[in-house]
Amino acid sequence: MASPRITTFQGNRNFRLLIVLATLSGKPIKIEKIRSEDLNPGLRDHEVSFLRLMEAMTNGSSIEISYTGTTVIYKPGIITGGSYTHQCPPGKPVGYFVEPMLYLAPFSKKKFSVIFRGITASHDDAGLEAIKWGLMPVMEKFGVRECALHTLKRGSPPLGGGEVHLVVDSLISQPITMHALETPQISSIRGVAYSTRVSPSMVNRMIDGARKVLKSVGCEVDITADAWRGENSGKSPGWGITLVAETKKGWRYFSEGIGGAGDVPEDLGAQIAYELLEEISNSAVVGRNQLALAVVYMVIGKEDIGRLRITKSQIDEKFICLLRHIQEIFGTEVFLRPVDDEDSDDLIATIKGIGFTNSNKKMA
Amino acid sequence: MEQSNREHRKKSDKATAKKKLHTQGHNAKAFAVAAPGRMARTMQRSSDVNERKLHVPMVDRTPEDDPPPVIVAVVGPPGTGKTTLIKSLVRRMTKSSLTEVNGPITVVSGKRRRLTFIECPADDLNSMIDIAKVADLVLLMMDGNFGFEMETMEFLNLAQHHGMPRVLGVATHLDLFKSQSTLRASKKRLKHRFWTEVYQGAKLFYLSGVVNGRYPDREILNLSRFISVMKFRPLKWRNEHPYLLADRITDITHPEVLETQGKQIDRKVALYGYLHGSALTSAAGARVHLAGVGDYSISSIEKLPDPCPTPYFQQKQDEYEREKLKEEGAAASSAPRRRKRLDDKQKLIYAPMSDVGGILMDKDAVFIDVGTKNGEGASFVPGQERGEGEKLVTGLQSAEKSLAENFDGVGLQLFSNGREMHAVDENSEDISGEEEGDGINTGRTALRRPRIYGKSVQEADAEVDGFSSADEDDNDQLDDIGEPRKKMVEIDFNSGNGEPVEAQTDSEFELSDHDDDVWTRETASKLQASKNRKKKWDIGKLIYMNNISPADCIKRWRGEAEDETVSDVESETEEDFFKQRAAGSEKVGVDDDLEKFKPHFETFKKLVAKWSSADSIKHRFLGAPKASAAHEEVEGGEDGEEVYGDFEDLEASESQVQSNGGDGSEQETAKYESDAESDAESSGSFADFDEEEKKDLTTEEEREQNAAKKENLRLQFEMEEGDNFKEDDPNNEYDTWYELQKAKMAKQSEINNAALESMTPEQRQKIEGFRAGSYVRIVFDGLPMEFVQNFDPKYPIIMGGLLPAELKFGIVKARIRRHRWHKKILKTNDPLVLSLGWRRFQTLPIYTTSDSRTRNRMLKYTPEHAYCFASFYGPLCSPNTTFCGVQVVANSETTGNFRISATGIVEEIDASVEIVKKLKLVGYPYKIFRNTAFIKDMFSSAMEVARFEGAQIKTVSGIRGEIKRALSKPEGHFRATFEDKILLSDTIILRSWYPVHIKKFYNPVTSLLLQNKSEWKGLRLTGRIRAEMGLETPTNPDSAYAKVERVERRFNGLKIPSSIQKSLPFKSQIHQMKPQKKKTYMAKRAVVLGDEEKKARSFMQKVFTVSNAKEEKNKAKKLDARKERLKKLAKLEEIKVEKDKERKKKYFSENGRKRQHADSGADAGSKKRR
Repeated sequence: MASPRITTFQGNRNFRLLIVLATLSGKPIKIEKIRSEDLNPGLRDHEVSFLRLMEAMTNGSSIEISYTGTTVIYKPGIITGGSYTHQCPPGKPVGYFVEPMLYLAPFSKKKFSVIFRGITASHDDAGLEAIKWGLMPVMEKFGVRECALHTLKRGSPPLGGGEVHLVVDSLISQPITMHALETPQISSIRGVAYSTRVSPSMVNRMIDGARKVLKSVGCEVDITADAWRGENSGKSPGWGITLVAETKKGWRYFSEGIGGAGDVPEDLGAQIAYELLEEISNSAVVGRNQLALAVVYMVIGKEDIGRLRITKSQIDEKFICLLRHIQEIFGTEVFLRPVDDEDSDDLIATIKGIGFTNSNKKMA
Repeated sequence: MEQSNREHRKKSDKATAKKKLHTQGHNAKAFAVAAPGRMARTMQRSSDVNERKLHVPMVDRTPEDDPPPVIVAVVGPPGTGKTTLIKSLVRRMTKSSLTEVNGPITVVSGKRRRLTFIECPADDLNSMIDIAKVADLVLLMMDGNFGFEMETMEFLNLAQHHGMPRVLGVATHLDLFKSQSTLRASKKRLKHRFWTEVYQGAKLFYLSGVVNGRYPDREILNLSRFISVMKFRPLKWRNEHPYLLADRITDITHPEVLETQGKQIDRKVALYGYLHGSALTSAAGARVHLAGVGDYSISSIEKLPDPCPTPYFQQKQDEYEREKLKEEGAAASSAPRRRKRLDDKQKLIYAPMSDVGGILMDKDAVFIDVGTKNGEGASFVPGQERGEGEKLVTGLQSAEKSLAENFDGVGLQLFSNGREMHAVDENSEDISGEEEGDGINTGRTALRRPRIYGKSVQEADAEVDGFSSADEDDNDQLDDIGEPRKKMVEIDFNSGNGEPVEAQTDSEFELSDHDDDVWTRETASKLQASKNRKKKWDIGKLIYMNNISPADCIKRWRGEAEDETVSDVESETEEDFFKQRAAGSEKVGVDDDLEKFKPHFETFKKLVAKWSSADSIKHRFLGAPKASAAHEEVEGGEDGEEVYGDFEDLEASESQVQSNGGDGSEQETAKYESDAESDAESSGSFADFDEEEKKDLTTEEEREQNAAKKENLRLQFEMEEGDNFKEDDPNNEYDTWYELQKAKMAKQSEINNAALESMTPEQRQKIEGFRAGSYVRIVFDGLPMEFVQNFDPKYPIIMGGLLPAELKFGIVKARIRRHRWHKKILKTNDPLVLSLGWRRFQTLPIYTTSDSRTRNRMLKYTPEHAYCFASFYGPLCSPNTTFCGVQVVANSETTGNFRISATGIVEEIDASVEIVKKLKLVGYPYKIFRNTAFIKDMFSSAMEVARFEGAQIKTVSGIRGEIKRALSKPEGHFRATFEDKILLSDTIILRSWYPVHIKKFYNPVTSLLLQNKSEWKGLRLTGRIRAEMGLETPTNPDSAYAKVERVERRFNGLKIPSSIQKSLPFKSQIHQMKPQKKKTYMAKRAVVLGDEEKKARSFMQKVFTVSNAKEEKNKAKKLDARKERLKKLAKLEEIKVEKDKERKKKYFSENGRKRQHADSGADAGSKKRR
């Protein structure tokens, strides 16, 4: 009997996404040439930690890492979920690990309840509020109702000491087929500004900075101050802000950032506010950082056509990479066609689901 | 004479029920409930009936406009008339008679319906299982004289657990009943039995005798009408999987490979057939299961023109062609208009493995029946051809050169005025396959007269703009790689007189003028596309061109790339493709920012500059003021800050409406101005262009465009509005949840159709895959040679698509029950052949039960009449899938009992499972302290004890305890404590759970690879192995049930030392009475017998002795007589049984011709009744 070919990828780009897609599709993959040209070749600590997390959340998966760490063969098992505590390495925040879990959690055997310990904020990866107010609403649109990220402790870089609890209680058999053809109207802008182990005035200064910028859009702005003190505030001082533009339909756009030493809180607030405006202008239904989640959920939907409006500027390298990976692993392609409206050069991404069903779940 | 008619009957004045209603001057019924109780009952009943009609709403994925043929399986025990029925039905539907029924036979049965008949081999359980999985309708044949036979019951049970297709019973051989009353009675009995099996009121047809080798026309007509109006509900499994019933296979291994490497190599095989179920993905390498062969990857798949199109489809195609011609402005269409009625020409039949119309397709040749030589209607006589088809054949017959020589260098002329194209190199391995033919040979030009669709090549075509050059490139490559095209061809032998003969052959050298239109058109458009390539890139294609790096993609799409590179990419071949990618990956390795969650933003300064005013996105906010006014002001060169300030004011006043005095009005006017201006500006360059375009359009076209726009809008609007169909609104238009779901599904399928129809065929293929209903050719590399070698068209070949989850292997936990008709219970780890999903495989299930949900405990045997769990290793299948299990599939091993041994449903799948079996360790105390005891004989080493430290133990009498520590001295002894003092005679029990591992055994039933398909033998059952090897069942003497002999326990009396006794309180003192000193009367009395009395007593004793002896003698005598009699009776009984047997044997040898075929397997067909 001819055995199936292993799909091979190269480089360390989209490492987490590849692993996640492979797990969803059940196909073994091989990733080679991971930083093979680098002075310090192979997998990094956080990637190994991520693989370990995947091993814990699945049953029967096998991960083979080559001696140099530049090649990984991943044979996915069954997503089991359950309770687990993951110690995140100091290099990466919890967002790095929580984000890929959002793709898998609704399709597991048992309810997901994972505690992540480590840093809770960084410049590059998803922050807690971004996940809570930015990504989870996207999941909700696809039928994943009961999911929450509880912040037990905040831990700013570099020392961290934070703790978050990801709970996904709704196990769905397949995502709802999505049709989002209209750019939704933003009804209000919300946000959270937090600080740990610094003066609470920083928070208010950030809020001021952001409000000043957002005044011009003429829309309700409501930014919550969230100053953490005591032992729940981690080991290092830090502060940051997340802004979320809400729509009545449930879609969200967001931007976030954290302050470092020497940054002016007002400037950070203003910058994040500007970034939010930029993000809004660049996105149709979902923001750039929500796009991957939305597209993957659409791909693993029913065998029906789902549609999502995207803007021209959303088609960037990352998006193309995502689509290519999806094509290689799932074999489905996304059909892009311009919207009928002449005024906008938005596109409609038409995706036929692969008819995925959550076979991990036990029969009721 | 006066006619005397009967007097007219007078209207009676009796108060009828109707009149009574009107007694009060109005209709009582109209104003009150006459019988509330009855009304309640009727309402209850009608709602019950309605509710019973409902099924779980399920999406039907079968395309509406061109559905695949309905698979009608004819199933039944041997000799019930399956072949005769198929022949009769085919004859009824197509007016052509078959001499042999081999493989699926597809016929057109109505304007929009086709049927595929398949006969299920009667004596093969494997085929029955496969057929049960794909049949839409089962014609269940049964012999009216015998009623339900084992095969029928087995098939019904199989079908039930694979989704239950529609079942029509057909009882045959009813002419053999002599008396009408028995016929009627047995009909009734059959019907009721059938109803209990299928459902109450299931249709059962009765066919009487055979006339001219067919069933009576009237009965067949009724049956065919019944079939042709039958509706089918979607079945869950089939709705989720693509599948195909192969109606033809060809071995397309290159002959040279066979020659050089011998016949024993893996073959390249093409399967042909209609796709059913969901769409089959067009991505290469999709995994499918070939029932009876195994799991394989599709190496290529190709859609072929439908060999048996429905009249509806043909009509649509013709309409399309006419439209095209009209667009062309050509003369009146040459395509003939189809009639509305199904005429004889449309009654197509396609049965490549049977001999339809005198053409028989074998594995590697096509045989044509030429009729009687030189007879009356002889055809294919050289020189007297009747039509060009015959000419072709006779030409072939008289060929001097070999076929290969003849066609060496023959090209393919697509258009009568075009150049010949040359055949793609046969050698499929040759990827580069560049063909530079000259087109000298004219061998085929006379015969081929392809119709030209659309425009000629020279004309420019606007509609192919969509083709990007790259895509075209890809397609060409694909064509090069693929096999030379093989086409199904219809040769029209009809040349005026004579009967129309529909012949369908397969040959790579023939291209019909009918079926190939699609292909022709495609090629034509491709040719044109290559002429006017467009340099505009389509993002949809760019994204999936893996040889271009993502960054490059975007550049090109946005039109930043130079033209030189573009042409480079176009000319890239496969080899270049790899190089390019490798180069790209290096670059990929460098930048790492894909892992970054935060998207890229401009620097702060740029952002500030850009967003000094948020006007450009103002329209994105609800209730925000219109942006244009401010926009205008900024443009006018005023200070941006001021504008900003302006808004700040508004914001400060917290009012979203800006009707605030003069300020607002100013803005308003400004806005109008700006609008007008911007309009003028924007339309400035396009204005005249627009006008031009408008002039070109006629009013009709404009209307059409508008209509299309409206339709689009409507769809969009409805979708938007009906996003959740106002689900939460209790006043929505849907009364029930069911209706709501139905509406949702209908909406979604509408969206699907609309979205898919808007794509070009290529795009559609990519997105959707191959739809159900398309006739495809699927090529597999590396199928075992036995599959081809031992191919027998009588056995169905079924290809089922696999979902991603079904590719994995693991442990399946299922709820299972021994079938109540199966004679024996099932043993853990005894091999069982399961039919789960598409697959049939042997595995070793472990039966378990759940101990109050804390653990899965192994069971040695399945319980008698209850469900238990079974865990087995095998391919995973999503939960809620039902399956059946059989112990043996080989006919030689069947005993004639019911073969389906278990039925079940998948509960859960996992990579591993924890199953335990109970293990009791037993030990004995040898030294007992107060609550502590030393226990021996439970373990053999201290290490074992260490493993169980702290474990709970128990004595038989129920005293609980705990293992403490191992003793150092006698190895394996340990100290334990108990809640009370135990006895030395107690037995100590440690109850533990021993993990059981599932053996990873998976053995697919590869029955189609065998010469004798019904003789697949896998792992033997334990019992069978023992029987064959003459082994005894091992028995553990401990496990044997023996009579429990309990030794009487003697307890010594309680002895209390007198010293203690003395000190005891009075209450606790043991009170002992003094022994009696006086003699009792009985003891002291003396009996003295008198003489007389003595005599009497001794006499009596003698009498009794004598009588006793006599009695004993009598008894013995009687016993003997009885024994004798019993012996005699037994002998008589034996004789009677013997005689009975003889009689039965005689009867069945005379009357029971049913199973004769079994004795002489080969000539089963010929020995059929009548």
